[in-house]
Amino acid sequence: MTIAAEGLTWKVGRTVIVDNVSLRAEPGKMLGLLGPNGSGKSSLLRLLAGLRKANAGQVTLDGKDLRHIKRSAMARRVALVEQQSSTESNVRVREVVELGRIPHLPPLGGWTRADDAAVDAALERVGMTERGEQYWQSLSGGERQRVHIARALAQTPSELLLDEPTNHLDIQHQIELLRLISDVSLTSIIALHDLNHAAMFCDHVLVMQKGRIVAHGAPEAVLTETLLSEVFRVQARVEPSPHHGKPHIHYLL
Amino acid sequence: MGIIIASTLSANPASAAPTAYPLTLNNCGVDVTFEKAPERAIALGQNSAEIMLLLGLENHMAGTAFWPSRVLPELAKANEQVKLLSVESPSLEAILTERPDFVAAQLLNLLGPESKIAKREDFANLGIPSYVSPGVCATNHDSGDVHGARTDLWNMDLLYQEITELSQIFDVADRGQQVIADFKAREAALRQRVSGESQDLSIVFWFSSPSPADDAYLGGKNGASGFIADLLGGHNVMQTDVEWPTVSWEGIIATNPGVIVIAELDRNRWELDKPEAKIAFLKSDPAVSQLEAVKNGYIVTMDGQAMNPTIRTIYGAEQVADQLEELGLFK
Amino acid sequence: MTALRQAVREQAGPGLLLLLSTVLLLLAVGAGTGIGEMAIPIDTTFFAVTNRLGWSAVDLDPIHQSVIWDYRLSRSLVAACCGAGLALCGAILQSLLRNALAEPYVLGVSAGASTGAVGIIVLGLGAGSITISAGAFVGAFASFAFVALLSNGARGGAGKTILAGVAASQLFNALTSYIVSTSANAQQARDVMFWLLGSFGGVRWSEFQLILVVVIIGFCVCIYFARALDAFAFGDDAAASLGIPVRTVRIVLFGVTALMTATIVSMVGSIGFVGLVVPHAARFIVGPSHERLLPTCVVGGGIFMVLADIVSRVVLPQQVLPIGVVTALVGVPFFSVILYRTERAR
Repeated sequence: MTIAAEGLTWKVGRTVIVDNVSLRAEPGKMLGLLGPNGSGKSSLLRLLAGLRKANAGQVTLDGKDLRHIKRSAMARRVALVEQQSSTESNVRVREVVELGRIPHLPPLGGWTRADDAAVDAALERVGMTERGEQYWQSLSGGERQRVHIARALAQTPSELLLDEPTNHLDIQHQIELLRLISDVSLTSIIALHDLNHAAMFCDHVLVMQKGRIVAHGAPEAVLTETLLSEVFRVQARVEPSPHHGKPHIHYLL
Repeated sequence: MGIIIASTLSANPASAAPTAYPLTLNNCGVDVTFEKAPERAIALGQNSAEIMLLLGLENHMAGTAFWPSRVLPELAKANEQVKLLSVESPSLEAILTERPDFVAAQLLNLLGPESKIAKREDFANLGIPSYVSPGVCATNHDSGDVHGARTDLWNMDLLYQEITELSQIFDVADRGQQVIADFKAREAALRQRVSGESQDLSIVFWFSSPSPADDAYLGGKNGASGFIADLLGGHNVMQTDVEWPTVSWEGIIATNPGVIVIAELDRNRWELDKPEAKIAFLKSDPAVSQLEAVKNGYIVTMDGQAMNPTIRTIYGAEQVADQLEELGLFK
Repeated sequence: MTALRQAVREQAGPGLLLLLSTVLLLLAVGAGTGIGEMAIPIDTTFFAVTNRLGWSAVDLDPIHQSVIWDYRLSRSLVAACCGAGLALCGAILQSLLRNALAEPYVLGVSAGASTGAVGIIVLGLGAGSITISAGAFVGAFASFAFVALLSNGARGGAGKTILAGVAASQLFNALTSYIVSTSANAQQARDVMFWLLGSFGGVRWSEFQLILVVVIIGFCVCIYFARALDAFAFGDDAAASLGIPVRTVRIVLFGVTALMTATIVSMVGSIGFVGLVVPHAARFIVGPSHERLLPTCVVGGGIFMVLADIVSRVVLPQQVLPIGVVTALVGVPFFSVILYRTERAR
């Protein structure tokens, strides 16, 4: 059991942002959240992370309603990587990753070797071990995202939620990041814009439009030319790639 | 020694007995005791200093501080013999360096519970008696705030009380009575000058303004300015109880004052502190220059310090009376 | 490198640093007690303190004894506490509001305090039974409540809170100006101005007791939330996802900083630059981690303020320069140096 949602609805004022969404993540698998801008992906992720309170429906973690789980306990299980999270603070890379240990620590002191080990492991996972003392402000966009992922990994979560983590990265780093996330054996829910990336890396995908789920399942089943036309408003041809076997979308002009 | 002084001045009908030490006074709710006449007194505030100089106490004074304006010319020579700690607020250490045996203050923010300089306990703990002008502790309880609105017209009584008490403290009670008698005579003389008048002059007292366009700081109805106006058989045009109302020139024009008293200030903070600048403004401003008082030249200059309830008030009243007489407003 | 950091973290590293800075602070307070307008020999200073503590019974000039103990020592200690409190509040607000220019008065506390003070000085509210300090304290909290209301509790987010603080400051400053211009005489306007500039002249031992308690409580609360404050570096959602109860933490910390600032402002007036500059200097020396930053701010703020007070007392003969002027004159170039060095370090 892992993250699941049942009849989730969320409004801002009178506008419905998330409309009666139900989903179930598969343990250890990567679930892609797709949809055009304004479809409610970011908001859904925040609801799943327990950062917003739904107007209707519930989110459960291992069957337990999030409302009954303490925030710190939640943070030990679920980690969130935002689209673009910046700071003015002159922190070092290692200090950012160390933030991920906060859910496991008491308010004062209590730092142990286990915490150091978690931080070291996280840094290694994202390939930034030697960069621990570097200042955050001197990192590139891609490096910053990797540090965010390291921070999330330092939380030693079992679930990882990512909100368009590749948005501001160059292609090399986009691929690296996605490969990293799929290699990690956590349950992950990732919002993506690039449909080909979703097809390549996700085990299942959910397509949203105007707050509602309009399709869910394996990429091959969901990413059809009709869906692309109706939901994403693009003309394309979809066929299995001869190089990696996953669906590949050819956009037509 | 006190007995000898008393006998030499016995010709004075207001002669007072020499002080019997130890002398205990209740000053602003605090009992203060004097073992002998102070020899190293510190005066915090121009008025306190000038009273002491009037009482001829310059040889008993170790220092003074806080002088908003120049000393009265007749006291200048005596004042030179006294050390000036600061024209502004002094520091407590500067005061204590002089090793005073008495500290008298004019204002509560020079010496008082909310003062940033010293509190009475600071001196009491060192066995130094302190004294605060009765004029400022009275307003605290009766009419609201520290310097604020008065509900009754100010008069010289509290000043006379201060002079009396200070003269007792220094064992110059007879000199104190002389000073008071002198002031009372001058007060009476002023009232006499106008007693035949039927007209009730309406007077506006202009202290100063940051600039011609700004509202003017005026002397209020119940403060020293009101007292001066009353002394001269007139009244202050300001009808509110506020001691220092700020009024626009439009408002001032509306009151149509019979006489405009302009203050002369030494401090040089604003251009309009100077009387020449004030006169220039009155005569050149298109609306104000149309006032009857301005057209007729009924503009009178007075020492700005007189608008504060101090001994300078009487001097200021005399200044105004002299000029009004010259202008032919007194017959 | 990792081994060294581990050693520093697990050994008495931070403890040693704290000890050293406390010694420096005590030295500063000692300087504040020994230095002043009146020339008092060092041994007199020393014995004046030990006499009053009951450790010695040396015969001393009572005036020297009083100046040292009743005036200079209490004043220096109050200055240290105020500097500590202001620097601590500045650091907290800079982190909570994610704004490098935040400082203790950004929530309108100082403006509200000045309105309260002016209400007592000029309007005579309370008819003599309420002190200026009490009035200032009430005004400070009125402003804080106004900001809390405008920014919708702590829900508003950093930007909205700052705007609410700006609005409150403007409102209460306008109120102060209105009261001064319509009701005050020239003497009162002058009093208000001096009150606003800030001064340690009116403090004695009773003020020290109050401010010490307030700053200690404030510090304990803030250090308890040190990790939470670190988490705020990347915004509210990031902090919440790390398990921080964002709303509660903000309310408590805003409340505690308002309490500390209101107490300080109502006691000694408005003293600027300390709350802005010291956190930046502290960050430059020990880094942004709040576990190290907050104690450094407390000690650094204390030392800075004591030294500034010494300067304000001795630079003009027989007068005391307003402390706000000294902190500005020292703070501004100091700040420029920090900015320059920070840019270079990047």
